[in-house]
Amino acid sequence: MRSRTVQGTVAIAATASLALAACGGAGGPQSSGSSKLTDDKVVIGLLNDQSGVYKDLSGPNSAVAIQMAIDDYKAKYGDKAVAKDIEIVQADHQNKADIANSKAQEMYDRQKADVILDVPNSAAALAVATQAKNKKKLYINIGAGTTALTGASCNKYTFHWAYNTGVLARGTAGAITKAGGTRWNIVYPDYAFGQDMNKSFTKEVTAAGGTVGQSIASPFPSDNFATFITKAGEGNPKVIGSMHAGGDLINFVKQFNQSPLKGKVTLAVGLMFITDIHSLGVDQFAGTQFTDPWYWNFDAQNKAWADRFKAKTNTRPSFAHAANYSAALNYLEAVQAAGTDNADAVAAQLEGKKINDVFLRNGEVRKADHAVIHDVYLAKVKSKAPEDWDYEDIVKTIPAAEAYGAPNPACSMG
Amino acid sequence: MSEFIQYTLQGLAAGGFYALSALGLAVIFGVLGVVNFSHGACYMLGAVISAVLLGELHVGFWVALVVVPILMFAFGVLMERLLVRWLLALDPLYNFLLTFGLTLVLVEAVKQRYGVSGLPYEVPAGLGGQVTVGSVNLSTYAIFACLFSVVVCVAVGLLLTKTRIGMIVRASTEAPERTRALGINVGRWVTPVFGFGIALAGLAGVLAAPTRAITAEMGSNFIIILFAVVVIGGLGSILGAVVAGFLVGLVEAYGIAYAPTYAQIVIFVLMALVVLVRPSGLFGREEVA
Amino acid sequence: MSDSTSTTSSVDAIAGSIATEARSRMLEVSGLSAWYGEARVLDDVSIDVAPGEVVTLVGRNGAGKTTLLRSVMGLHRQTEGTITLDGADLAKRSPDARARAGVGWVPDDRGIYSSLTVAENLLLPPVVHADAWPLEKVYEFFPVLHERREFPGTKLSGGEQQMLAMARVLRMGSRLLLLDEPSEGLAPVIVQRIGEIIREIKSHGVAVLLVEQNVKFASTVADRHYLLAQGKVVEHLGNDDFRAREGELLTYLGM
Repeated sequence: MRSRTVQGTVAIAATASLALAACGGAGGPQSSGSSKLTDDKVVIGLLNDQSGVYKDLSGPNSAVAIQMAIDDYKAKYGDKAVAKDIEIVQADHQNKADIANSKAQEMYDRQKADVILDVPNSAAALAVATQAKNKKKLYINIGAGTTALTGASCNKYTFHWAYNTGVLARGTAGAITKAGGTRWNIVYPDYAFGQDMNKSFTKEVTAAGGTVGQSIASPFPSDNFATFITKAGEGNPKVIGSMHAGGDLINFVKQFNQSPLKGKVTLAVGLMFITDIHSLGVDQFAGTQFTDPWYWNFDAQNKAWADRFKAKTNTRPSFAHAANYSAALNYLEAVQAAGTDNADAVAAQLEGKKINDVFLRNGEVRKADHAVIHDVYLAKVKSKAPEDWDYEDIVKTIPAAEAYGAPNPACSMG
Repeated sequence: MSEFIQYTLQGLAAGGFYALSALGLAVIFGVLGVVNFSHGACYMLGAVISAVLLGELHVGFWVALVVVPILMFAFGVLMERLLVRWLLALDPLYNFLLTFGLTLVLVEAVKQRYGVSGLPYEVPAGLGGQVTVGSVNLSTYAIFACLFSVVVCVAVGLLLTKTRIGMIVRASTEAPERTRALGINVGRWVTPVFGFGIALAGLAGVLAAPTRAITAEMGSNFIIILFAVVVIGGLGSILGAVVAGFLVGLVEAYGIAYAPTYAQIVIFVLMALVVLVRPSGLFGREEVA
Repeated sequence: MSDSTSTTSSVDAIAGSIATEARSRMLEVSGLSAWYGEARVLDDVSIDVAPGEVVTLVGRNGAGKTTLLRSVMGLHRQTEGTITLDGADLAKRSPDARARAGVGWVPDDRGIYSSLTVAENLLLPPVVHADAWPLEKVYEFFPVLHERREFPGTKLSGGEQQMLAMARVLRMGSRLLLLDEPSEGLAPVIVQRIGEIIREIKSHGVAVLLVEQNVKFASTVADRHYLLAQGKVVEHLGNDDFRAREGELLTYLGM
């Protein structure tokens, strides 16, 4: 009887959390076609994960980065600034597509956001892309990895600023395979993201002349990887690729380090952020290779910006913070150039623009698919951190064209 | 064949840890009739406290192994005195919901204080590396964690079977009203037993720290596996929790080896089969139901 | 059940044929009423038991016998009236405090723990009185318990379990034993043995309150009898009267 009570309660709890759904906004107002600002101000919406797994990666500190962009824009143009009154509105999408959808409506309609930034989590990201398209408002995604944003789901108002899973695969799988790591076994979490990563990595390993012996799906989430790692070590691979993220990734790496494969087999990680290294410590990740869209201590320019960021947040920036800064600043530059915050006019300014800034090197807002391509980096985790957050050695710069490949033919700008 | 042995050993290693983790859940259910949903959160607290001790106070693993269970015992005593006690007389569902709510509070509090990416922890000195025999190998730490778990389970077993306290706890578990009528103040034992169960959860958390991600959510998936363990073993049965812990560890390892995608599903299939054949679990008493 | 109200009006219980003033009283229950929810199961019951005396409660099923025992033990809390042991008020005390004050309960299901060995079943309760039987004496008197001391308690036969339950409260040193149907379901030879044990207990000055359906057995061990019907004491008989009216009582009890 008691176990039935347990089941019943768990079911109730699950239903209740599902029921934390959204209430939709009203129909959108027409965006103004005049050369003035709508509502006499520019509103930048920051929609991301402020309480879950991506909170540390981006979260509330991205608002700090965006404010830095606003400050820099105002300092640069002073009285000549088209946008004198710039406001940031924030919301937490809790990594749920339905919440992201309703929050995006609310931002565009009620809070008069002219652009929405960030939106990690692929399902949430795609939901907001649909809203942007319907409401004809700008949307610059930073945190999500899905290639669909610049593929089947691409649209005139959506830009993808920082990275995508294809970039990670080309960077990590391509570089490691070409460096001699030709025999791979891959372990991936059994849900959409993991399956996607597994496909991308397998394709890039093969393209670079390597082979993937086994692709092993693990349940998501999972705590106990010991036997998965044993299995992944069978067949004498040179590289084991973990496509996990968050807690699963940490579990995998900790248990890999306690296995006999440590030191004998290269561990390649599909999706890793500096916050993961920070939470686990460099010694656990030492030698792990991964693709990083940006690293704060790469050069003096990055370092200078990271120092400014640290003065405000007491922490070092992730690539997502820098990308939010870059996206906000370039959006404001485009508003300045267009003389209006009208979405079509600003998008026209952005399209095809070549950019070099603290985040984008050899950057270009590709007109064909709105992928913002730029150089990315193959990073290797240091074995000792000279200071907090100084965790990465950049092994190799991967040029923008190589990292991003050709525009996705599935994208037709509508 | 050596692969099979390898999987078996890994299953047993994980199983020892599951046994220890489920033990406190079984003890608390046995004596109080409380399904402690917050057991996973208490396990998480044990790991987080270990990480904080190491990160902020430079207090290492071996000390944490002693200090954390004591702290968690105190936490358990407070939890019983301030919250659980008031609902004991009501339907067990109330305390289930209470501990469910408490879980949400603890998880959010840890998120607020320590973020979501997790906390670092090191494998204690001397327990790194692997032990290899022929083509079979296990991480030294996994062997340690399993042996330590078994030692704790045996110690708890001896405490329950060979001491007067254990006798009283067993009697109170079996028939609280009758035990009161035989002159024993059962209520006086309820608080320390609850604290003891929570301390065991904390101890499992310390053991997990070097080998698992220390995040606010680390207990959320784990508690589901622990429920499977205690249901298979028989709710409230200590021996059942231990045997089922090993059983689940083995089933999971074979699942990963031969049907990786279904590694967790097989645990719940096992649970369903056990409940169908023996509704009170492998070692449960019929009247518990 | 009739819809009883919570009035405490004392219905004139039929006075017994024995005067009660002169005895020293181990247990004294007076004006006890008990309810299960709205249903009144005991109605202004007054009984007493002296040291070294065996008193039975007889009555049909549902007459309130077991409820009376449980109320004395403190396991049934929905009561009014007074219960004293050696002059001390028990009414506010918890069951375990009553047990430590000297009340020993032997429930009708014997109450043997399956998760405890025979020896542990004996050793579980605390010793509450100087006259408590030492373990050696218990084993001497119940050799079968010594033989089976390492067995799980419920591996014993029904009769052995009954002896264990009684031995347990003797080792505890209870001054008042509440025996709930000790002869139920036992073979005649075992019932006889139980009778011997009760007489032995009595000889130690322990008071026994016995719930019994077996009128023949009751008449062999008891000094006095209270006849309960619908929650009231309807007759109070000395053992001689009880024996004389045995046939009548058997008919009344439906046996």
